[in-house]
Amino acid sequence: MSRKWIVSTLVALAFALATSAVFAANPIVIGVQAPITGQYANEGQGIEKGVKLIAKQINDQGGLLGRTIEVKTCDDGGQASQAAICARQLVNDGVLAVIGTYTSGAALAAEPIYARANVIQTSDGTSDQLTAGGYKTFFRNAPPNSAEAKFTAEYLVNGKKFQRIAVLSDHSSFAKGLSDAVVQAVKDDGGNLVYSGFITAGSQDYTAVLTKIKSVNPDVLYFSGYYPDGGLIRAQMEQLDMGATFVGGDANQNVAFAKIAGNAAQGAIIINVPSPDNLPYPEAKQFLADYKAAYGQEPPSIYTFTNADGFRAVIAAVKATQSTDPAKLIPWLHDLKDFQGLTGTFSWDATGERIGSPFTAFEIQADGSYKIVYPESATQ
Amino acid sequence: MDVVLQQFINGVTVGGFYALIALGYTMVYGVLKLINFAHGDLCILAAFIGLTVLTSGLGGANAGALLLAAAFIVAAVAVGIAGAVLEFTAYRPLRKAHRLSAVVSALGASMLIENGIMLIWSPQVQVFPANLLPDLTWKIGSASISFVQVMIIAGSLILMAALYFYVHHTRFGTAIRAAAIDQDAARLMGINVNRVIASVFVVGPALGAVGGLFVGLYYREAYFNMGWIYGLNAFIAAIIGGIGNIPGAMLGGLLLGLFNAFAAGYVSSSWQEAITFALLIAILLVRPTGILGERVAEKI
Amino acid sequence: MVAPRPTALGRARRALGPAFWLLGLLVPVLLGGSWISILAIFAIYAIVALSQDIVLGRAGMYDMGHAVYFGVGAYVTAILNTRLGWPIFATWPIAIVVAALVGVVLSAGIVKLRGDYLLVATIGFNIIFVLALGNNVADVTGGPDGIFGIGVPQLFGTALSSQGALFYLDWLALAAVLLLMRNLERSRIGRVFRYLKEDELAATTLGIDARYYKILAFAIGAGVAGAAGTLFAVQLASVSPGSFVFTESVTLFAIVLVGGQASIPGVLLGTALMFVVPQVFRGLAQYRYFAFGIAMIVVMVLRPQGIWPRGRAR
Repeated sequence: MSRKWIVSTLVALAFALATSAVFAANPIVIGVQAPITGQYANEGQGIEKGVKLIAKQINDQGGLLGRTIEVKTCDDGGQASQAAICARQLVNDGVLAVIGTYTSGAALAAEPIYARANVIQTSDGTSDQLTAGGYKTFFRNAPPNSAEAKFTAEYLVNGKKFQRIAVLSDHSSFAKGLSDAVVQAVKDDGGNLVYSGFITAGSQDYTAVLTKIKSVNPDVLYFSGYYPDGGLIRAQMEQLDMGATFVGGDANQNVAFAKIAGNAAQGAIIINVPSPDNLPYPEAKQFLADYKAAYGQEPPSIYTFTNADGFRAVIAAVKATQSTDPAKLIPWLHDLKDFQGLTGTFSWDATGERIGSPFTAFEIQADGSYKIVYPESATQ
Repeated sequence: MDVVLQQFINGVTVGGFYALIALGYTMVYGVLKLINFAHGDLCILAAFIGLTVLTSGLGGANAGALLLAAAFIVAAVAVGIAGAVLEFTAYRPLRKAHRLSAVVSALGASMLIENGIMLIWSPQVQVFPANLLPDLTWKIGSASISFVQVMIIAGSLILMAALYFYVHHTRFGTAIRAAAIDQDAARLMGINVNRVIASVFVVGPALGAVGGLFVGLYYREAYFNMGWIYGLNAFIAAIIGGIGNIPGAMLGGLLLGLFNAFAAGYVSSSWQEAITFALLIAILLVRPTGILGERVAEKI
Repeated sequence: MVAPRPTALGRARRALGPAFWLLGLLVPVLLGGSWISILAIFAIYAIVALSQDIVLGRAGMYDMGHAVYFGVGAYVTAILNTRLGWPIFATWPIAIVVAALVGVVLSAGIVKLRGDYLLVATIGFNIIFVLALGNNVADVTGGPDGIFGIGVPQLFGTALSSQGALFYLDWLALAAVLLLMRNLERSRIGRVFRYLKEDELAATTLGIDARYYKILAFAIGAGVAGAAGTLFAVQLASVSPGSFVFTESVTLFAIVLVGGQASIPGVLLGTALMFVVPQVFRGLAQYRYFAFGIAMIVVMVLRPQGIWPRGRAR
């Protein structure tokens, strides 16, 4: 009698264990590394929201390879120091891929840690250093600084024919890389550079350096840094009655720029791939509508879309290879050709560099919206 | 020449709010010999409170100057009360304890206020709406001075004059000065030292509140951890002028604002902060009592 | 001064420390990857906090810019390893020496200042240091994003690249620093620090060269912090100015005072509360500093001598 009890208990236990193993959650964990707090918080939150939206859409349709997608976020505050800690944490959380982050510096600090753990990393960081390290796990979903610099120089020198160009930057890897490339490209195109200098990001008061720049009479001030500073610079230029046009690099493209610059925002020019409302692709329009419906607000910038593209590419890889093994996914991603992204068609090359993205220059209108002004072919 | 004038205008504007914030530090240090690390955060709290009032929609679309005045008054009163509460809960119990305990308490209060602001308002930068103030600019040669700059400079000077009058020509002001020189003697003279200290913690933060709201209106933005950098700069201003010395804080604030503007304009804008702190260290090494001399209680 | 107690309770108490350390050795075996990282970071920050205690808790100087020395050590290792290809262990002694020298140079001018002024001067140094790093001074510090791609230490040909191996390295370093602290306490230098802290005037009348010993305190504190800096750089595989900002110095300052000045268990407890607890409660990260602020005020008001004060609480 007792032997039967023992046997049946053991069988019951085994059965319970087996079934619980089957029904136990076996989610695919996707990491999001982004500045959820700090000066770039609205970018980071946009990235997180975009990823969560897509994950939810997939989960509602039965999941990826039958498994639920679970999103784990780590706040890096846009800082390289936090980024390294985040990278360790996400790796310990067992993520398959990490989407983000917004700043190149944070992406650079996390890159080696992800590479050593074979975790896929997609980021919109545009610093050229990101693809120069030979890290096989990195994929850039926004165009690099070097491409943007060439377009910028063309716009400034040949397009608008500015005569006295002033260039301002901050010391971050991204902004300095971009401004160095722009300065070089402007010189190559034969432009007249009258000033080149730095601000310390986040210091709020730029009136002193702007007064100095005003004294050399530029007709355009190009700023390669981020939108919180760009907005203030634009506002203070107006306050100091500087007649120069403001042209901002891609990190100035964010709805907060116009808010911070206030009345001065109108007429500012920003160079980037098309902004969310100007994206002509049906997937993009659908995503924009879904985002607004889910969160009741517009995405803060195009970077919500580029990071969403990174995520979508990873999903496509998993579906195509029917596996979550990085050894299969990474080569597939390196061979990515003509992927229909929200931000246009693009491919990834052997270094993880994005190939294919159209730059435009757009002007901020009185109502805060963007109007493409260059190249003429894109204004249609 | 006009560049110099422009830098001067910019410098005096910034100096105005540094001076207002510095006054709070110097008054507290004068009576308690305590660096109130939470002071900068209290001042920035005023910017947030002011912003809330200004965006509350009270008084309709054309509330204009009245709403602005209300914002200042509400912010100053609220922060003044907060200052008194702070003194009562975090500093008074530690008056007999080791000085460092009060310093840690002050640091804790600073963290609390900063993060309280973050939790209540938002970790993101709060932008002040455009058109709160008239968009006027006047030109002096090729230098320009805007409405907000005039408002700040005038406002700071008026308040500083008012405080000077209060401290030097009223009875309570004399009580404050007495407590700053020697607390026990003041007590023996019948002065209610606790009340004096509490009032310093109301007046100082209230003045600083106006300074904080000026900061918010000038840059049109406020973020929750702005407090410590403005606080530190204001403290440097107080030291430059002579800690515990009220006219010293005013002078220190103005000088610091000018120094910042010219250093950033003529030496380098990336090193602006470093130059300011280098100046501080130089003053500490050469003349630690400041330009007008320090006035602190001798705690043996 | 704490006289060793000959009682059984005293012996048990003194065995607590080594026991806790030995227990720590089992962490990589028993717990998962997250815990290994957390405790590795704890060990590193504990070393820095103990070094802060040397200057503040034991020698009584108001140093609120201690993160500078931590940063110097980290950056020296980062620069020598990534720009010049030096192996990590070779950079370690250089990091310690350079940090100590920086400590000497910075403190030499300011040790004569009164407490509050010394405090403000150290804050000033911290801010200038971080700004210099951020401005990519001499083009070696890498700007606000810092330096990345730092290698791992090599021991007799094998790379210590796993998290477990790095943890053991940090844990052993912590043991070494704890031994150093204990020896310092019992040494002549340690006694001089105590005299200086209690009553500098009396100490000088006894013939002690206050200035020399104060600078020495800074040098030792800075050197130990620099050693931790190397470990930190390796742990994160990168360094950036954000890790050494003034608020980090404030945290270290608070750890010593809230934990208990000149109290090793107090400082370790303070470090655990400031660094480990938030890592465990990541979900509530937003409230972390708010909670710290309240905790700091409450602890100081209720127990101004710290949570675990030195020796017998008076």
